[in-house]
Amino acid sequence: VLIIFGLFADLWRSERALPGEMLIAEPARILGDPMLLRKAVRIGKPQFERLCASCHGGALQGDPARGVPDLARHAWLYGNDPIEVERTILYGIRSGHPKARNVTDMPALIRTGQITKEDGDDAIEFLLSLAGQPHDEAAALRGRSIYYNKGNCYDCHASDAKGVNDYGTPALTGPVYLYGGDRKTLYLSILNGRHGECPAWIERLTALQIRALALYMVSATSVPPRS
Amino acid sequence: MPSESQDFFDIHKASVRRAMVLLALGALTGLAIAGYGLFTARGTRSRDVPPEAIALVNQRPILRSDFMTQAQTQFSVPFAQTSHEERLRIVRDMINEELMTQRGLEIDLPSYDPDVRNALVAGVELEVTADVLARQPTPEEMHAYYDEHTDRYSSEGVMQLRDLEIKTDATHPSASARTTVAAAIAALRAGTPVDTVVAKFTLVDSGRFMDAGQVDTGDILQFAVRAKVDDAIYNATMPLKDGEVSEPIEEGDGVHLIYMIKHRLPVAQTFEKAANNVWSDLKREAQDKVNAANIAYLRSRADIIVAPDYAR
Repeated sequence: VLIIFGLFADLWRSERALPGEMLIAEPARILGDPMLLRKAVRIGKPQFERLCASCHGGALQGDPARGVPDLARHAWLYGNDPIEVERTILYGIRSGHPKARNVTDMPALIRTGQITKEDGDDAIEFLLSLAGQPHDEAAALRGRSIYYNKGNCYDCHASDAKGVNDYGTPALTGPVYLYGGDRKTLYLSILNGRHGECPAWIERLTALQIRALALYMVSATSVPPRS
Repeated sequence: MPSESQDFFDIHKASVRRAMVLLALGALTGLAIAGYGLFTARGTRSRDVPPEAIALVNQRPILRSDFMTQAQTQFSVPFAQTSHEERLRIVRDMINEELMTQRGLEIDLPSYDPDVRNALVAGVELEVTADVLARQPTPEEMHAYYDEHTDRYSSEGVMQLRDLEIKTDATHPSASARTTVAAAIAALRAGTPVDTVVAKFTLVDSGRFMDAGQVDTGDILQFAVRAKVDDAIYNATMPLKDGEVSEPIEEGDGVHLIYMIKHRLPVAQTFEKAANNVWSDLKREAQDKVNAANIAYLRSRADIIVAPDYAR
């Protein structure tokens, strides 16, 4: 009886200490600690299935129709460092929360007259050339100039068009695209701009649930985190 | 017989005085604790920092998550690679920032600092319009909006005109001015040059269309005309074509006529041409609607009393 009582007491003690342990430890350390990570997954996975899977998909595969990134194929817009993921979950992306990620968004380059429709078509050929897709060589050459000059695309999407985590801009080199890499979808992005959103969960989840959720999402994609 | 002071200290014997003193001591201790809590507001404060926070500043937590992000941003390295000293510096800075923010609220900075007020207004607007900003209008919505507001999507009309008048006063009563203007209109319609008519009938420019002190007979955009004249003159002006003259228009200051030198009418834009403006207008309108609804909600729950002279 004493042994069973002792086991239960120990279990109770460790469960009571869990929130503090999980929140005080550095997220990267938790990822490297199988026992803590297992506990994080136990808390985070049900929250993901309850709140996030409707957009991100059960296997984190995302939804290009809604501009939800394919996290299973590592299209992390802000990087997969658990600290950054946690921040996104806390405050959201363009969620209206004052601390939301909102540095920049894709402008409606054609609608606002920054570039013409023809410029847009050329820029798309350039992007297709970067992705190794069939493209019009002459148009791609013109598009390259649009990318680096008139369109100012490189400023957010980087000189190598692989995106910038600080801004949350997606890679344009394929094979994984945020909204799709076909001509029509790329054109719509340049025409109307994009303004994806993720809600802020700070008011709806506890700090422990948010930490666990971030750790679950990072661990489920099984790639070493990078800032 | 033992004295009363001996009974006071002998706990085996009952003492009314001792009971009263202990009661008074207990009451005083209770009052002191309550008073300390009440006047220092420290009675309910927590001494422990919750695990999700790195510090409590006047009971307001600074989140670990914000702290880690701040450290990564400031030192441009992953959090795990920051040193203890660097982290301490961040903690110190964040506490200082929180103290300054709380001080700003304490001295009611938003009530008089225009920069703080502007930042607050912009922040609240952004918060309420976030959904609208994120939503892209569908092609169907854009077509419907264009069809509903075709008048907005046309090139701007341009005109060159003269707004001439006979001022009415004691020497020129209204009836006489009307007769003179009617004669001037007949002369213009008969092809008499406008300057000749002006001289012959002693007409004057109304002064509504001036450029650097001179009568403006150059191109004037339609919206500018609209802004400078009232409904009666605008309605008389709009149908006029090149070389045409309006009927006499009676205004408070005199009787007017409009002589249209040149009128380039607005040309309606196709949906394809107007699409960019339709898109912007739709988004702006949706944003305005949400802002208006937010203001209406805030007003509905606010206690606003306006001075009697501005109550209506």
